[in-house]
Amino acid sequence: MNIKKRSPRIRLLLLSFFTLLSGLSVHAQTSDFQLLENFNNDFHRISTEIDQVIDMGALREIELEISSFESRYSDHRTLITAALYPVTFEERVNSLRDRIMVKNQSLSVVDQLNSRIEGLIAETDLFRSRINQLNSEISTLQQNIERSSASESRQAALIRQYRQNLESRDLFVADFLEELINRYQNMDSAERSELSVAADRLQDNPVEILKSIISDYIELSNNRSGLSLPDYVSMRAQHGYFSDVWSRIGEQLTRTFETERSRQARTEIDNMLAAWLASVDNNVWSLLQQEFYDRSIRLSPFTNSSELNRSLHEYIDAAYEISLESNREEDYGKYRNFSDFWNTTVKANWGDLIIAGNILTHSDIAAVDVKLSSWGEAAAPISNLMFILLIVSIAVIVGLVVLLVTRKS
Amino acid sequence: MKRQLSTISAITLLLILSGCGSSLIIENVDYAQPLESVLVPDSNNEVHDQRYALRFTISGILLREGVEGVQEIRLIRDQAGLYYLTAAGFSSVYQFTPEQGSLKLMNRIAIPGDVLQQPAFNQRGSYIELVDTSNGRTFNLSEV
Repeated sequence: MNIKKRSPRIRLLLLSFFTLLSGLSVHAQTSDFQLLENFNNDFHRISTEIDQVIDMGALREIELEISSFESRYSDHRTLITAALYPVTFEERVNSLRDRIMVKNQSLSVVDQLNSRIEGLIAETDLFRSRINQLNSEISTLQQNIERSSASESRQAALIRQYRQNLESRDLFVADFLEELINRYQNMDSAERSELSVAADRLQDNPVEILKSIISDYIELSNNRSGLSLPDYVSMRAQHGYFSDVWSRIGEQLTRTFETERSRQARTEIDNMLAAWLASVDNNVWSLLQQEFYDRSIRLSPFTNSSELNRSLHEYIDAAYEISLESNREEDYGKYRNFSDFWNTTVKANWGDLIIAGNILTHSDIAAVDVKLSSWGEAAAPISNLMFILLIVSIAVIVGLVVLLVTRKS
Repeated sequence: MKRQLSTISAITLLLILSGCGSSLIIENVDYAQPLESVLVPDSNNEVHDQRYALRFTISGILLREGVEGVQEIRLIRDQAGLYYLTAAGFSSVYQFTPEQGSLKLMNRIAIPGDVLQQPAFNQRGSYIELVDTSNGRTFNLSEV
């Protein structure tokens, strides 16, 4: 009999029914053979119930049922022991009680696991609801930005709000990822197998949530309305953090929550991460190029960090060579334009994001700074004042000498 | 004197010889089976009681009972070592005593009334009880 999913009241009724039926059969039957058959049937029924029980309440009821079973057949213990030889009546009853004890222990573990799973479900529900709310707000803001193109001030305010919303979302996702790391990074195989048993009860397991988050980010990245370079650089930084978390706990998560297809699930997320990065990069490099271009800095085209680095060095090296040769005011202006953009915008405004987003490293920036310094020295125009002073000094000296000579003569 | 000595020697020899004989008998052996065996005949009407290591054919019994076959037979042994055998559809209980390589019919106990519908034997120590569980009729086989 399968009692694992029945309500306590139905279980109690069934238990009473079987007890009554067995009691009747013990007293009404007049065949010892039949009595033994009933004993064996009751024993196997209770054994099956112990195997199938999944909650402590039902286990307590089975314990009562064993006591009832024992008292029901105790008058016939001699006959049953003789018939069961070499097993005794007491051994049969005790074997049921031993199994109850073992089941009790395993159900305690399951209960703990259930609590953890329920906590996990509550957390994922909370996360899902919060992220949906943020997505909805982002979507509304995007629509408002598109609609308010007539009013620049209103659009600017909406874009500001939109960015704040994105930042909140990034922070929330980062907190979630941090929670995942704390929970799963050091999980041992026993915990993993326990969780994986119960994982199918999760409607939204962490792997699915991660997929959903990445999918949202890809959509966000593909939709360019209202976003500027710092937003995409920020996304690149978020991608870097996400990839780092995934490399640390991805295997644990998929082996726990996607036991049947862990390798496939890992590949899916790897591919999604690659698609997210490609979408962000597609915007980052073109917008960065445009930012330099808008300030009359003509860098050679780049589509990744090393190409950007190479492009910056090529630009500075070429300008440096020209400054050495000509030392014109125009060249110095070019230097000041680049230096101003580099120091006040790239380093001051975007510096942290650029490093976090793996656009440039600290050493890349330092190397550009060194070259920029050399270029500044080379480009600075040399002053004529010293030359004029020298000429005047020579003229004065010559004048004095002439004056002395004429006075002597 | 010599004659008396011969007599004593003869008596001693007789006593020794009687002590070395094979007539040891163990008394009060209890052969009682606590529970009847329910055995299913094979296609050759042979039954095999694995628990008590007994195998025999029931063809002769079926012939006596005038039935072609039975689904199962009930078999029990009393304290004295006699076997009692019956089956559903039988009108009698067959009492056998074991002999070397055979079971010898001691008594065919006719059960009064209708043929047995759902017979069962119970070990009751001093006697074997026959119950027809279909109608609750109970018989003390030592008194039938």
